[in-house]
Amino acid sequence: MSLETLRPSPAFKDVLPIEYKDLVEHGPYTNRTDPSKQSVKVTDMGKFKEVIEEHPMCAGCAMTLFIRLVYIGMPNPEHTIVVGTAGCGRLAISQASVPFVYGNYGDTNAVASGLKRGLEVRFPNQKKDVVVMAGDGGLIDIGFQGMMHSWFRKEKFTTIMLDNEVYGNTGGQESGMTNQGKVLKMAPRGKFDKKIDALGLAKVAEVDYVARLAPTNPARVARTVRRAIMVAREVGHSYIQAYTSCNIEYSIPTPDVMKDAFAIEKERYGFEEIISPRAQEYLNEIEKKPKKKKTD
Amino acid sequence: MLIQDNIYLTRSNPSGQGGTQILYRLQDYGLTALSGPQEEIALIHWEVEVIRFTNLETADFETCHTTELADKTLKFYTDKSLNEFLQRAFQYFEELNSLEKMLPQES
Amino acid sequence: MANVKGSSVCRTATDEGKPADWIPGSDKQTVVDPMEMFHKLPREKLFITGSEAARECMRRANIDIAIAYPITPQSESMQQAGYLYDEGYIKEYYRGEEEIGTFSAISGASRAGVRALTATSGPGLMRGMEAISSWPGARTPIIMLNMCRVINTPLAIQPDNIEMSFMLNTGILLLHAENQQDFYDYPLAAIMASEQVDVTLPAVVSTDGFFVTHARGPVEVTPEEFKLPPRDGWRSAVPAMDNENPPARVSRDAPIQKSNFISYHMHASWQQEVFAAVERSAQYFRKYLGGLIEVVNPGAEDLIIASGSAVSQAREAVRQEGEQGRTVGLIKIKTIRPFPTKEILEAVKGAKRILIPEFNQAGWLHKEICSVLYGRCDAVIKDGPRVFGGMTMPTEMVMEALADFRKEVK
Repeated sequence: MSLETLRPSPAFKDVLPIEYKDLVEHGPYTNRTDPSKQSVKVTDMGKFKEVIEEHPMCAGCAMTLFIRLVYIGMPNPEHTIVVGTAGCGRLAISQASVPFVYGNYGDTNAVASGLKRGLEVRFPNQKKDVVVMAGDGGLIDIGFQGMMHSWFRKEKFTTIMLDNEVYGNTGGQESGMTNQGKVLKMAPRGKFDKKIDALGLAKVAEVDYVARLAPTNPARVARTVRRAIMVAREVGHSYIQAYTSCNIEYSIPTPDVMKDAFAIEKERYGFEEIISPRAQEYLNEIEKKPKKKKTD
Repeated sequence: MLIQDNIYLTRSNPSGQGGTQILYRLQDYGLTALSGPQEEIALIHWEVEVIRFTNLETADFETCHTTELADKTLKFYTDKSLNEFLQRAFQYFEELNSLEKMLPQES
Repeated sequence: MANVKGSSVCRTATDEGKPADWIPGSDKQTVVDPMEMFHKLPREKLFITGSEAARECMRRANIDIAIAYPITPQSESMQQAGYLYDEGYIKEYYRGEEEIGTFSAISGASRAGVRALTATSGPGLMRGMEAISSWPGARTPIIMLNMCRVINTPLAIQPDNIEMSFMLNTGILLLHAENQQDFYDYPLAAIMASEQVDVTLPAVVSTDGFFVTHARGPVEVTPEEFKLPPRDGWRSAVPAMDNENPPARVSRDAPIQKSNFISYHMHASWQQEVFAAVERSAQYFRKYLGGLIEVVNPGAEDLIIASGSAVSQAREAVRQEGEQGRTVGLIKIKTIRPFPTKEILEAVKGAKRILIPEFNQAGWLHKEICSVLYGRCDAVIKDGPRVFGGMTMPTEMVMEALADFRKEVK
């Protein structure tokens, strides 16, 4: 929804909530000519009205930074619906100015499948982006079946895994994405098995756009999110796996959270994109456009 | 759809298994057509008995395997084949009922 | 816009792969007022199975999305939904991964503001129960067909409606179809009631599997060129999750689970409102179904109260008792939720003996009736006969129970 869809009578415009007016006039809800382009820039952070501003997350939480960047990267936040499940992430996500479906445990990708198809039926002329944003436990453990099947069905929405490698919200139990040997609650002798290769699963399921990253480069996060959502809008499914450390359960000193992100990125969480040929073809097309205009 | 003439009663299967029973009646004689549930829907069929009513006022009857129509339980897999049989049976019962009237009454 | 070729999944256009001049079945139908459809349109009598009755119902129900996972005895109906999708009567359709996924997806579809249908049986219902019990609180109008089946171990596929008792206190509208005719009529009525602004709740129409779904019975259907009005996503107690609603922060599914008094009160009032909405739906069912109950032989001293298949057995018992000169009354309960308390209190006046036959072990209907009639009716209430696990309930069983009852209570 934007002022494009909903046109308030000029007489009523000034009684609209200030937050909403700011989002339209000084934020990402701004009307735009190119529906694949975000109207705000990461480098301008702090200078525009953001989709998410207040949140109850822990001080220094890397996940919060990542979630902020996801909202900035959304090509059309005014036509986006986010689906989540229990976990830390939803504490921030539910505060955003984008509708948030807070479903049952691990039902995100099933709900998103129905939601996306429903929106396609109801709004044949207005693309609505659906984004699942949930934790590693919510997706790889309890939501595993729904996630895998939505990938196999190539449902046209984006899955974003906030991978803090632990159940943060329930108090620090090991998850499928925890590294082998790590001592956490419910893993008193260290986790027995390996971190699940979710990226490998996405490859097997032939997800059209797969990306792994850490929130070390804000512009890259925003660009990756935009690419993932655009591929989901037009081609097939997309999956982003982001390292969003838990400074509480992993005892990372607050000032060192970004230092940890850089270190883990270098060690085992380097930026990686796996793009199907048809997704690549599409991305080439939408990303070349501005260059063409310049040369014309 | 089955022939609707001469229907005396349509009821759910009185043995409690679901399905439908249709009773056709022409005076003393008649037919019961029973269609019960089947695990394979394609196997749903009609089980048909020739019957003789034992009470003029009620639907009480006994199966009758002594007519020329049938000496056993009949099975029909389509409404069409059963309807053909029903027409033949109705005609037969008319004749039977009028023949029986001519017989001297049992004392 | 570059729409990449080969993107054949997540289909929403049902005309994919159809000839250019193909017209979806739904486009050939005319929308008709629900009251017109339920009470005025001419009807043609067919002799079809319960599953086929469900298909004819879906054909006229203007369904946007159907999602289901196969389970005996539901599969027959939902594969029929597949054919309807192919013919263009249903706009979107897929087989879910299993019931939790299916019932979550159907709630997602309803949140989008479209009419969503699913179906299940016994164990499938239990598997998806977490999702199902969250539908009313999410205020998602959904229609679910429920073909009852044994849920207990040992595994069996026979009819037994104990699963209905698990839905009694969820805030779902719950109807119990007696036969194939009801299985055609009730879902249509339930859809219209569930989508009323002051209701906005999911509805489940249960029927006893096999006895109804896999057997033929007479069904009077309205002409197939008429369909119900579509769901209007804007008319709803809560906004659809379509990002079309101001103001900016519209998180309908807010996490109201922080431990403080405000959240407790919010949650409590939200639940109160759900159950109040169930009661408000009664007015629509009275209109659409011509009443929440059906009464045979009003005022009789002997009275049978039943729902579902047990009504058919009771009906035949009432007829045979009549042949023997005894008048037995019958109350058929059409809607289990909303429960027809007012109607039952009125209909039991004059009764001395009330018998409640059921197709389940727990006797949930008996308990419901007792809780409503306690202290408000002089009749003796007796449960039975009760059959379960796929057992049958012959008419004689009901009549014997009546005879015993008459000896016990003069």
